[in-house]
Amino acid sequence: MDPIEREIRYESDRDPTFADEIRAMPGCELMDRCIQCATCSGICPMSDAMELTPRRIIELTRNGFKNDVLRANTIWLCTSCYQCQVECPKKIGITDIMYALKSKAIESGAYGKKFTIPILAREFYAMVKANGRVSESRLVQRLFMKTQPTRFLGMGRLGMKLMKTGRFSNKVERMRNPEGLRRALEALPTDGRKRS
Amino acid sequence: MMTELHQNGQEEVRIGYFVCHCGTNIAAMIDVAAVAEYVSTLPNVVVSKDYRYMCSEAGQDLIVQDIKEHRLNRIVVAACSPLLHERTFRTATQRGGINPFFCHMVNIREHGSWVHEDRAEATEKAKALARGAIGRVKYHKALEKRREPVTPAALVVGGGIAGIQAALTLANTGKKVYLVERDPTIGGHMAKFDKTFPTLDCAACILTPKMSEVYAHPNIVLWTYSEVEGIEGYVGNYQVRVRRKARYIDEELCVGCLDCVDECVFKVGNVDDEFNVGLSKRKPVYMPFPQAVPKLVVIDPVACTHLNGGNCQKSCVDACERAAINFDQTDTIEEIKVGAVIVATGFKTFDPKRKPLYGYGKYPNVYTALEVERLVTSCGPTEGEVVCRDGRTPKKIGIVHCVGSRDHQTNRWCSRVCCMYSMKLAHLLHEHTGAEIYNFYIDIRAPGKGYEEFYERLQEEGNHFIRGRVAEITDIPKVAEEEGMLTIRVEDSLAGFVRRIPVDMVVLSTGLEPHADSQDVRRMFNISCSREGFFLERHPKLAPVSTTTDGVYLAGCCQGPKDIPDTVAQAGAAAAEALTLLDTGYVEMEPSVSVVDPIFCSGCKTCLNLCPYHAITRDDAKGVAVINPVLCKGCGVCVAACPSGAITQNLFEDREIFEEIEEVLAYA
Repeated sequence: MDPIEREIRYESDRDPTFADEIRAMPGCELMDRCIQCATCSGICPMSDAMELTPRRIIELTRNGFKNDVLRANTIWLCTSCYQCQVECPKKIGITDIMYALKSKAIESGAYGKKFTIPILAREFYAMVKANGRVSESRLVQRLFMKTQPTRFLGMGRLGMKLMKTGRFSNKVERMRNPEGLRRALEALPTDGRKRS
Repeated sequence: MMTELHQNGQEEVRIGYFVCHCGTNIAAMIDVAAVAEYVSTLPNVVVSKDYRYMCSEAGQDLIVQDIKEHRLNRIVVAACSPLLHERTFRTATQRGGINPFFCHMVNIREHGSWVHEDRAEATEKAKALARGAIGRVKYHKALEKRREPVTPAALVVGGGIAGIQAALTLANTGKKVYLVERDPTIGGHMAKFDKTFPTLDCAACILTPKMSEVYAHPNIVLWTYSEVEGIEGYVGNYQVRVRRKARYIDEELCVGCLDCVDECVFKVGNVDDEFNVGLSKRKPVYMPFPQAVPKLVVIDPVACTHLNGGNCQKSCVDACERAAINFDQTDTIEEIKVGAVIVATGFKTFDPKRKPLYGYGKYPNVYTALEVERLVTSCGPTEGEVVCRDGRTPKKIGIVHCVGSRDHQTNRWCSRVCCMYSMKLAHLLHEHTGAEIYNFYIDIRAPGKGYEEFYERLQEEGNHFIRGRVAEITDIPKVAEEEGMLTIRVEDSLAGFVRRIPVDMVVLSTGLEPHADSQDVRRMFNISCSREGFFLERHPKLAPVSTTTDGVYLAGCCQGPKDIPDTVAQAGAAAAEALTLLDTGYVEMEPSVSVVDPIFCSGCKTCLNLCPYHAITRDDAKGVAVINPVLCKGCGVCVAACPSGAITQNLFEDREIFEEIEEVLAYA
């Protein structure tokens, strides 16, 4: 049997700089205004599957409870539908905060190794950075390969069938001038902070 | 009966009956049309009607028209409580051309539709009540209201911001005002505050000019260090006895130079300074604070060596060049006459020792909010430097909301100001010390102009708001970070777990409660109080500054916790109500008073001691009781008590009451 989990938090459980780091990211400035009305949690189409609702994510983030926030599945279940952000009475950039938290989680490796969503995000970004476009079939193949390689092999026959009927292509889609995009991306700060 | 009245030479009784639907308030539970139809069959009834809103202009006109058209001389209106609309229908009756006291009201709303669930039975009851009224109204007599002149002066009790505002408003209209304050200075709690929310303007800067204005105002008689001892009389004509406590200082001579304070044999203070809520000491001779109004010193008879019979060299007397110190001074009594009284006696703050879990009095660094006000203000004991009792400058401060509020173990009510003053103190403490501030709250209540915005500002300034009522404050550490700190244990109900937060300093946001002697004040002014002990307004919405005693009005926190803007607004309203009375110049007395028939009175004095209003005296020359109609409130005690049946009460004569009872019973 598992030992009883400690449900108390000491001040040392808080990361003193975490809230400031998030606050400094674009769109996250107004986090402290939150009045915990829970409109975000109510309107979120994914909140029933979340370990922590968006409201609690905001509360824990601004109080510096980094581990609780980054380990929860919440930030990865966010579909970026922006409904929370649109409805927030205090105009807080909730979805933007979710993005900031995702990048923090990737930075600190605070998520399961086989957890698909951060891998998808990274592969998506790498492909866009390289080609300027996403080739969907290739993205799906890469995601499967990295997360469920055995299942990927088992789906070979289905893949061939789809390819024959023209519904699945391995063609790499490229934009005409990927160099321009690359330069634009390089001009951005890598840590996600606002440029001064 | 009708023939009897005819034989007495009176005109024929012609009754009009009007039953009100009150929208659906009455009509939904009582078949008003059926009641009206039934009443039309009763003797002497000439007109019987129902109408949707009798109190409306059209409803009143119905009465006026029918009186003229049908030569009605008695009116019965079945509607709501006479408290609400008796005056309305009496006035309409008068407009119709007959004496207003020929109108009688039957309450079929509060006594009928609102309290019954069976429509048929409620309708039957309404019919029975109607029959009783029809029976009694024929005996009604024409009565006249008495007018009594009003003394054009007012008494304001309490010299806090409420009393100051009310006194100034009244005085500015040219009325004479007596302002009586218990403490040696006016200013009340507000004088102790550093800044005021949400604008953060300095409390002293906005209050002290008003205090000086009171002192200098030609229409205000300011008596500090004085208490109202007794009040007699009635609306418009009160006689008030004020005890002016001995200051041991001649007020005419003292100029507040403080030489006596400097030369007092006590070189340092030996008594807790009331103005600094015990954070500093004062001498037996003292001025409460430098901006005190009036600018006079006072000698504390409990602390002064000489006044306690001790052997003192009385260096203060030698120090006073103007020979203002007078140890032979005694209390004096002033008798004044006023027309109106404004009670503005304020509040006291909750004693947090009643919540031992918060460690007030046990841990030196646990403060009340009022203490912190004195701590952050530049004219306080530390001149604005926030240093804890153990000498440390706090780096982390916890502010505990709702101490002695919203708590059935102490006070049930919300004290209304604590959320806002806690946030103000959070701002000021952060400004003074740069400390990290934690607010522990149940709900943030910021319902005022600019208040929510102030809350948002505090959030954006980086203050922590932790939703959870603090369970315990302890100095026993569980982990290293808690060593030497006060640890606050609370469930952060928004984050969803229990937290332990070590802080250097704790501020308890204590609630507001009535003064310990508020019951004595209440009895003296013959006003009511609500369950918690705050004085009760006559109506929570429509008469918020009046009391159940005519001519006595309320202002400020004695009526219930409120902030400075609300207090000032209420004080203005109380002044306006008092002015209405004083400016009218007379009061109209209800004629429903008791009268003694001297032929039957045996002079037994039974009624004298029973009268709660001291309205009855005995004319020893004639050997009979005499009722002062001005003091009589028409309670009827004397009527019931008189062994000779010599006392009758207008509108409640025996034959009126018995006829009403008989008719009601006859219906059943």
